[in-house]
This record gives sequence, structure tokens and C-alpha cells, in this order.
Amino acid sequence: MAKLLVIAEQRNGVLSEASMELCKAAKAIAAGMGAEPAAAAFYKDDSVANEVAKYIPEVFSVVDAKLERYTADGYAQAVKAVVDSQDVAGVLIAHTYDGIDMVAKVAMSLGWGVVSNCNKIEVSGGKPVFTRSTYNGKIQEEKSVSTDKFVASIEKGAYDKEEAGGAGSVTAVSASIGDIRTSFKEYVETMAGSVDISQAKVIVSGGRGTKEKDKYNDIIVNLAKKLGGEYAASRPVVDAGWTDAARQVGQSGKSVTPDLYLAAGISGAIQHVAGMKSSKCIVAINKDPEAPIFNIATYGIVGDLFEVIPAMMGEL
Amino acid sequence: MKIVVCVKEVPDMESKFKIVEDKKIDESQIAFKMNDFDQYAVEAALQLKEKFGGEVIIVSAGPERAAKQVRQAFAMGADWGIQVVDPAVDAGDNFVKASALFNAIKSLGDVDLVMTGVQAEDDQAGLTCGMIADMMGAPSCTNIVKIEVGGDQKSLTVNRELEGGMNEVLDIPLPAVLSIQSGINQPRYPTLPGIMKAKKKKLDNKSAADLGASTDSKTSFIKMFFPVSDSKAEIIEGDAATAAKTLVDKLKNEAKVI
Repeated sequence: MAKLLVIAEQRNGVLSEASMELCKAAKAIAAGMGAEPAAAAFYKDDSVANEVAKYIPEVFSVVDAKLERYTADGYAQAVKAVVDSQDVAGVLIAHTYDGIDMVAKVAMSLGWGVVSNCNKIEVSGGKPVFTRSTYNGKIQEEKSVSTDKFVASIEKGAYDKEEAGGAGSVTAVSASIGDIRTSFKEYVETMAGSVDISQAKVIVSGGRGTKEKDKYNDIIVNLAKKLGGEYAASRPVVDAGWTDAARQVGQSGKSVTPDLYLAAGISGAIQHVAGMKSSKCIVAINKDPEAPIFNIATYGIVGDLFEVIPAMMGEL
Repeated sequence: MKIVVCVKEVPDMESKFKIVEDKKIDESQIAFKMNDFDQYAVEAALQLKEKFGGEVIIVSAGPERAAKQVRQAFAMGADWGIQVVDPAVDAGDNFVKASALFNAIKSLGDVDLVMTGVQAEDDQAGLTCGMIADMMGAPSCTNIVKIEVGGDQKSLTVNRELEGGMNEVLDIPLPAVLSIQSGINQPRYPTLPGIMKAKKKKLDNKSAADLGASTDSKTSFIKMFFPVSDSKAEIIEGDAATAAKTLVDKLKNEAKVI
């Protein structure tokens, strides 16, 4: 039977949570397609493949010293080797930094249609239907592929993590991994030192809607201090240099789970939400009633943060 | 260095979106702008040109109206551009658009570096960089937050953003294709002389047929809709003062979080 193939993701030999989510997704989707869930793991030894086998019934393992670290060239060649040696109906990749880096390349090397950044895949009449966020999360779209087979990437958090516990088979696939054109130099930590907002019980976070540095300081920082909490920001505020990178919440920054997360002037892009959605109580203040942040907030105020927050300060 | 930047016109995301017949947005209600991420790519290209000389060429695919965004890049300092104006490309998928951009780039002869934004704000696909790189036979790297040029100008050292504030530092030989992440720089605002000069800069219009680009999509669009959430926020009504008072009361007495 054809395989629906999850590409396992690892860093320093540790399987990513996104890979466990892909295993869950593959199990949910494969049956409708008349396929079986499987995974491909690439590393310098079999350890990652053995780990993935706890989450999915069948794992194809490509072992090569060149695969110790993720590279787009290495992974594209390894995926091709597995697809060439097996009957693969579709490839699932995590929409993570590594996934974003490889997904187009993998699809091009296979010649298959690709749908990236999906949040749901359902099978209708044996064919997968891909749902994905567009327009900053304001609109969802459904797509299909015109090719027989497909490559799709799935947004982090779209599926729950599969529970470990199975004992899948691991099959070696031989591949000659050729030229890898990028060369790794080092990892650097860009948020080292300074404050750790992840321990705060109350976080007041400002986004693009805070307009400028002085206003961010005046409104967001002061409310945070008044509440005895920490101040934080979404990416555009850090990009603009209004506050430190160590205070950035989201996929590229910190993940936080305070009792209260107050998001002011933050639209609620998925990359931000990924870092704060597990907060106990979320308050959204935004002028745009259609901002996606209202979909995950506990309480919302549709209004001007420059009026609402000073009024809140008066009540505290 | 001969540097190409791919620029896309996108709606201003604060526009009021209306969906027509489940398949398109009502463009009469929309203001358009240059994709934010592309502005960072244009700025990165201009900074390289200022250091190492050469030229910055803009390629874009979109309706005639989108020439405004290309000229915005010209006003920032880019030298000239090619716009693929072709309804068949506009209707095509990521592969068709990447093919159009690639063929426009190919028409330039040898280039050193191609840059895109990490993704378009409207489509959120992030596929263009990798597709163009594959078509060029060049290496690619995505989510770039720092670029340094090697001594011989034949390679770059780049920082690729990873989860949680980590960067991976890599060497990549030229020619290469990079997708540029926001925050890598502070994009400049066009100056008045820049805007005046931009009007006179060369912008070639091409169709897919002119460039020999494929218009056969590998994916199909089915429909679009507004997201439905099962857990909408409890919206607190009233003017700012009333809403603020109610909110503080709820946070103290209902949620008990302050």
C-alpha cells in the first residue's frame, strides 16, 4: 500500500514536537487516501528513526554523516531517495523553520504540487483537501493539488502531538547524499542575557498598534509595572527596535503561559499566538473587530488602546 | 554585485475584507502596498550595492496597478525592473508565479544574488525563494536575519533564524537565493528626489509568453472563507472608560488574575 510520508525533524538528534504532530496528522489522513502512515528519518545514525518509530508504524531511515545537521540540499536528496525506493502518495513536512527552508525544494525535486502552511488536511473522494490561513490569518482557503501526489507543510499546533508508545518498524534506505552547498558554522543565541519574561504571572504585550517607541513605553510598560508584571511585544515592535528581542513572544521568540496575557494592538498572527495561546486568561484590545486575536482571547475590547489602557490605569 | 529582489503587491492587511462568491476578495474595498517582508529585502539589496557597487533589479508579477509597488522600490534606490503583467500568471499558483519570476531573472543573464521576502502577507506560502532557487540550480536559504559578504564576493555568511531566538550561521556560495526576514534592517523611506527619479527608471513589461514561462499550475484553488472559531472572546462593550472599568472588574473578580 502507498505510504503517506512524514519527514521527521531533529536538532542535535532530538526529535521535534512538530514531528510528533505530523505523525498524528498522517494517521488521521492516510486511511481516507487508501494509504498507510509512515515516516522518513535522516541522521548520522538510526537513533532518530528509532525514536520516530514510537509514534508511527513504519519508518524509513537514511543514515549518512552528511545528515547529522539539517540542510536543504541534504534533506531534499534524502527525501528523493525514500520516494524513489517506496510507493509514496504524499509527503508531510512541518511548517517550522527547517520545514519552510526545504518544502519548496522537496516539491520541486519530486515534481509534485505543493501546498504550504496548512492547518487542516481532509480527504474528500480519496483526494486531499488542504485548508490554510491567508491574509494574516483573516481568511482561510481550501486548495487541492493537480498532480497525482503532493507535498504539504503543516502549521505547528494544527494537530495534537501523537502519544509515544508504538514500536514501528525501521527500514534502512540507502542513498548517496551528494553535494551540500551550504556549510554550517555555528548556532548563536540572539536573546541571551537580560530579562526572562517566561516566569511572569502577568504580561502586558504591545504590537504594531502601539505606533511608536515612546507610546509603547508610555502605555505598555507602565501598565505592566502597575500590574506588577512584565512587558512584552510582538515581532514588529522588536523589529522596529522599540524593545529588546528578549521580550518578543511568539515562534521566533519566547513561549509564555502567564495567568494574564494582555495583548494590545496585536493582530494575532499565528506566529505570535504560538507563543502565548496557553495563557490562562487572554485579553485582547484592538481597533479591528476582525483581528484573529479575538478568536483566542478570553475577553476582548474593540477599541483604541490609547484610550482603553489609560482608563484601565485609572481603575487599578 | 548584480542583485535581484522579488517584490509583490499585497493588500493592506488592515483593509476591510469582503469575500465575493467564496472565491475572491472584493478589491474595490482594498488599499494595496508592497509586501512588508519585501521592503526588508529591497533594503538589504541596497545596502549591499552601497558597499560593493553593482545594481539592484526589481522583478515582480502582478496586475498593471502593481507597478506602483515596483516604483516604490525604485524610489528607495533600486535601479530598474521587470514586471510580468499577465492574467494567466496572476491566476496561477505559487509554481506559476515562481516560473514567471525565474524566467524574468533568467533574461538578465548572470546574477549574483536573488532575494525575496520570507513570505507574502496575503498568500503566506513562503515558497517563492525555494522554487526560484531550484529553477536556477542555485542554493537557497530562508528566514535570513543577517548577511555578510565573503572577501572574494563569491560567497555569503548568513544567519538563518530558528525557533526561540536561535540563529544558524551558514556559508552559502553565490549565486544564491535568500528569503529575507523582517527586522534584518530598518527599510529606508523614499526621499522626495528618490520619488522623482523613480518615475524615470526603466520598468519593462513582459508576459509569460515573452519570457517562455509556464502557466500550468500544480495546485488548484477551491474556495475561501472567514475563519470560524469555537471560542470567540467575550467582547466587552461600551466606551473606553466603561469597557476598561468592566474589564478590570472581570479580571479581579471573575478571572481572578490580578
